Amino acid sequence: MDARLRRVNKEIADCKNDKSSKIELELVDDSPFHLKGSFPGPEETPYEGGHFEVDIRIPDSYPFQPLKMKFITKVYHPNISSASGAICLDILKDAWSPVLTLKSTLISLQSLLCSPEPNDPQDAEVAKHYMTSRSSFESTARYWTHIYAGGPDPNSGDGGKGRSGQKDEVAMAGLEKAHVDQFEAIGFERGKVIDVLRRLNYRGANVAKITEDRVVEELLKP
Amino acid sequence: MDMEVFDSDFKVPGKEKKKSYEVDAESLSQAQVERLMSVDVDHIRGIFGVDAPVASLLLRYMNWNKERLIEKYMDDPTAINVDAGISAADEEPKVSRAASTTGPTRTTRSGKLSKVKSPSPKRDEPFVCPICFDDTQTETLALSCTHTFCASCWNAYVTGKIREEGEHWIRCMAEGCSLVAPDPFIQQALGDDTATWSRFQELLVRHFVSCNKNLKFCPYPNCTYTVSCPAAATKSSLSTIVPTVTCGAGPDHKFCFGCSVESDHRPVVCAVASMWLKKCHDDSETANWIKSNTKECTKCQSTIEKNGGCNHMTCKKCKHEFCWVCMGPWTEHGTAWYSCNRYDEKASQDARDSQSKSRASLERYLHYYNRWANHEQSAKLSMDLYKKTEQKMEEMQITSELTWIEVQFMKKAVDEVFKCRMTLKWTYAMAYYLERGNPKELFEDNQRDLEKAVEDLSELLEQAIEPAEIATLRQKVTDKTVYVQKRNEIMLEDTANGFLEGRWTWNATVEGFE
Ligand SMILES: [Zn+2]
Ligand SMILES: [Zn+2]
Ligand SMILES: [Zn+2]
Ligand SMILES: [Zn+2]
Repeated sequence: MDARLRRVNKEIADCKNDKSSKIELELVDDSPFHLKGSFPGPEETPYEGGHFEVDIRIPDSYPFQPLKMKFITKVYHPNISSASGAICLDILKDAWSPVLTLKSTLISLQSLLCSPEPNDPQDAEVAKHYMTSRSSFESTARYWTHIYAGGPDPNSGDGGKGRSGQKDEVAMAGLEKAHVDQFEAIGFERGKVIDVLRRLNYRGANVAKITEDRVVEELLKP
Repeated sequence: MDMEVFDSDFKVPGKEKKKSYEVDAESLSQAQVERLMSVDVDHIRGIFGVDAPVASLLLRYMNWNKERLIEKYMDDPTAINVDAGISAADEEPKVSRAASTTGPTRTTRSGKLSKVKSPSPKRDEPFVCPICFDDTQTETLALSCTHTFCASCWNAYVTGKIREEGEHWIRCMAEGCSLVAPDPFIQQALGDDTATWSRFQELLVRHFVSCNKNLKFCPYPNCTYTVSCPAAATKSSLSTIVPTVTCGAGPDHKFCFGCSVESDHRPVVCAVASMWLKKCHDDSETANWIKSNTKECTKCQSTIEKNGGCNHMTCKKCKHEFCWVCMGPWTEHGTAWYSCNRYDEKASQDARDSQSKSRASLERYLHYYNRWANHEQSAKLSMDLYKKTEQKMEEMQITSELTWIEVQFMKKAVDEVFKCRMTLKWTYAMAYYLERGNPKELFEDNQRDLEKAVEDLSELLEQAIEPAEIATLRQKVTDKTVYVQKRNEIMLEDTANGFLEGRWTWNATVEGFE
């Protein structure tokens, strides 16, 4: 039997038998070389309670070439593209070793959620958010976990004030409702305000550094 | 004109004087470069008392900078042994030849399995390779870190690194292990795959060459020759010479030692050639229309298509004769009034307002670009046309008395035209940046004479060939070819001398000229 197929089949079987790690694998279009992996968000992180899915492609020269992985579930994390799910992780590139497996790589992704590397970002805007205001970043990441990964509603604790089931665009962008309202009141369209404030990283200590004129100037750009 | 230049064209046997547009260069085979490498390896081996594979890894790690390596090694041998992937971080470096740490340790199932760190199987259990999960593999390999894997996994890994990634720095397969496989290990892992082993050796040579300023690998696909050209090793040398070199393996194995703009951009230096190409690239939109192969006759407006390399055009309809490049009447081109190559600076001098200034500057650029592009295109078209001529010549060889040798004059002439058009092409890039004045005028005189000669020969080559007149044609073509060759020599020689003398000044800032 083809060495790659033997190895992949064994890895899938091992994963099925191991109930302790909570890592799951399933085939996509019946090919053992295109898989979907999933794992629970790590405890005591903004991803806790979420269920994260990863698209996995096994290259022809596996395991001598790294696995190709990207998040299917949208994740708010400095090393994961918020748009495409692309992952910036050394073992998926130069630091790959043929002894790594589907399971160990997924576990590495799980631990990447615990310890972001904002100095080697995949998503520069998210990384800026992380560096500027950790607590604001965490609440946004928690909100994304709730909306996309089926995590708990972060607002359910405060007497059910949160509009559950409906996406709050301001919370999605990690912004303050008051800031968005302020510029919307001048007469700018809400979606545009959210977009500009997100790009300017209008959060935490940064708010004091960015003048209103600067924001308006950005808003006026076509 | 310097008559000595003329004289040197009549090749005197035995007197092979280097021309000023030529550069001293030497072609080295892969084996010759390998000998240079082993001199360095032996040197390091002698000083440090290590074996050759270790010395090679150390040198490769330091990009073959011997002095820096010796310095670092004297400073902290342990650190550099770790960094160069020779020993693991916690391991004492063993430098004596007898206790080499890098020799491959080939084991069998019953062999040194106890040395496997993790997962550590029991002695009586069969070895299960942690990569392929195969328990029937009997042959295993490990570096001195003793991370053991089956021989076929090592083979697949090493082969992939060399073949697909072009990598010569191959680490142990274990996660986080930074040990690098020395050459004997690579060879053992590859087994009888000699093709991959020689690819590996080529990669080592390429790395060595890329670390040495005096050397360059021939860029021709699959060529394994290296050119040594110390004269062009420094950046400053590139303002006085155009180092067109060849590895000697074939007529296409010609390249510029100083840049990758074009294989032969003589007579113009690398910096000007690349400035010009950048400008052409930036202005490609405005200049696009020139590239089209059709134009209208200035007299009757019927469409004329260019299908040969010659620029002397005759309108099929009204028989008007004109120059394809400047669209002026051809009659002026045959006389001393020929000045198709010169740009009339009057227009830009007269320009007062900014709009007419920018139009004048565009027109000036287009004057040079037009001729630059046209020579390139004409060179290609003349090659196409020659293919048709060649066919005809072959037929003539069958139907007439002519021998193969006798019909070769056309080939030689076409080759010369092609070569000269390439020279002419680059003279326009140079003229665009040349500061106005006496030297530029003399430059343009040479350019004009060469251009005129090339156009004449080009025209001759496009004539219909009649078997009865072949002897006359042959004489004419041969004479013209010799003359064209001479004009090209003068152009190249004089421009090259100008660079050596610092005669050329520019109307823009050129890197290396201050
Ligand atoms: Zn194996
Ligand atoms: Zn190792
Ligand atoms: Zn070559
Ligand atoms: Zn060059």
